[in-house]
Amino acid sequence: MFKELDPILHSQLRLAVMSLLISVKQAEFIFIKEKTNATAGNLSVQVQKLKEAGYIDVIKEFKDNYPNTSCKITKKGIAAFEEYVKTLQEYLQVKQP
Amino acid sequence: MAEEKQLTEQESLQLIQQMINKAKGSYHDTGIGPILWGSVITFCSLVTFAQVQFNFELPFDIWLLTLIAIIPQIFISIREGRMRKVLKYEDIALGYIWTCFGVSVFLLIHINAGIVSHLNPIFKDYNTLKGPHEITFDYASYSTSLFLMLYGIPSILTGGITKFKPMLYGGILCWVCCVISVYTSIKTDLLLMALSATAMWLIPGIILRRKYLKASECLKN
Repeated sequence: MFKELDPILHSQLRLAVMSLLISVKQAEFIFIKEKTNATAGNLSVQVQKLKEAGYIDVIKEFKDNYPNTSCKITKKGIAAFEEYVKTLQEYLQVKQP
Repeated sequence: MAEEKQLTEQESLQLIQQMINKAKGSYHDTGIGPILWGSVITFCSLVTFAQVQFNFELPFDIWLLTLIAIIPQIFISIREGRMRKVLKYEDIALGYIWTCFGVSVFLLIHINAGIVSHLNPIFKDYNTLKGPHEITFDYASYSTSLFLMLYGIPSILTGGITKFKPMLYGGILCWVCCVISVYTSIKTDLLLMALSATAMWLIPGIILRRKYLKASECLKN
């Protein structure tokens, strides 16, 4: 019996955000937007969902007198991501002949 | 990128790989730091070489320029930190490497000053007693080798970690110069130091600067 894939992560944009954040210490919202090619509105909604799940921390601060948002993955987020990848690998191993 | 799209397992893995590669491939350095230090060290080495070669002395120690260069470096670091959109683990590692390097340079200067202050009176006394058979040992000649060894370390590490070959090869050349400098006179050592600083900092810095300006231009258009 397979484990169910984490529904929070099993979405294109949220998975893209988590994959970016797993490789870096911290990234600005604008960087994530550039790399995912997402719209600001859509990205904001998905970032909020990841934050509510406790997978990322959202840091709001001022940079050169302008508001600036940065995101960083949490320990819970790292564990969830690792579990997601492990489950994916299990699915793919069975599908292979 | 649409949020709603349902991914297959294969697509999920491809997306993860793609995004990790995108995050990796975002190394940006303005190149100003390497240009600054490459220029300063090359200039100081060549001026010191000219002093030895043409037998003249400046009213101040030219190497004090390295202390003055710390001031613009602080501003460059602060500005680059503000401009950075992403903080990668390798950025943190490189920060520690270059900070340790900076501190090590000052520690080496301090150690060298200590060694010279102890060795000089010993050799002076020895040469007075020994008469015509003077010892021609000059510690300064070996101190250049020590500095070259130290200069090569952060350059090779930075070049290797960021996969920036000009700095990696420049650092290796610096270590080759370090080996040569053990067997050459102080004048040649200074030329080797100028060559090393140009190869591992100045030229890579110019390459980085050109890449950075090109990328900035592309973003504007």
